[in-house]
Amino acid sequence: MQREIEMRGIPTVLITVSPEVSKQMRPPRAMYPRGFKIGNSLGRPGMADLHKQVLRDALSLLTGPPHPGEVIEFDYPEYGAEE
Amino acid sequence: MTQLSRKCVPFTPFDRELGRATVAIVTAAGVHRKDQPPFNIADELGDLTFRVIEADAQAGDLMVTHHHYDHADADRDINVVFPIDALRQLAAEGVIGGEAREHVGYMGYTMQLKRMYDETAPRIADEVDKRSRADAVILTGG
Repeated sequence: MQREIEMRGIPTVLITVSPEVSKQMRPPRAMYPRGFKIGNSLGRPGMADLHKQVLRDALSLLTGPPHPGEVIEFDYPEYGAEE
Repeated sequence: MTQLSRKCVPFTPFDRELGRATVAIVTAAGVHRKDQPPFNIADELGDLTFRVIEADAQAGDLMVTHHHYDHADADRDINVVFPIDALRQLAAEGVIGGEAREHVGYMGYTMQLKRMYDETAPRIADEVDKRSRADAVILTGG
């Protein structure tokens, strides 16, 4: 899906919580919020500031140095460990 | 046209200012408006359709239909898979130029990968390219 949109000339960034799987898809740009579980790509419910930060970091891959095919990891301690 | 090698990474450079760019969200998490037909989770092969979510949609208008991940959190706060409020906040703060005209939701689970690639993916890309007119797209899985 991502490759199809990118090939139309629209830059894309993937937020993934399955980095190993995503890496195999050769994403143009991808980030993995470390430790976030499936269903929590941007964080937990109600963590509006965290959602914004994750989104902002994903968008930063558009303007930063390119790492095509790689999944860049970010840490967000506020996500917290599994309950 | 040459077949894209699995090793090749298509890459469109982002040539503009982020603060003037419109951004769309494309999510595989099964997000759709409550007034749209839900994704067909009874179909074992997986629903290949997608839903257009227009820029005026509010978080409360949206829901998730998906049977391959635990979406209890998304049911409480759609932003955890479809960061619409966060996107709008970033637009209000000038981090991005604005929200694109449309976002897209689909159900990323499928047993029909070839049809997803050959049919659904180009259609979603067309929607994003021609109707959403997004300068950049954020994709989320679930």
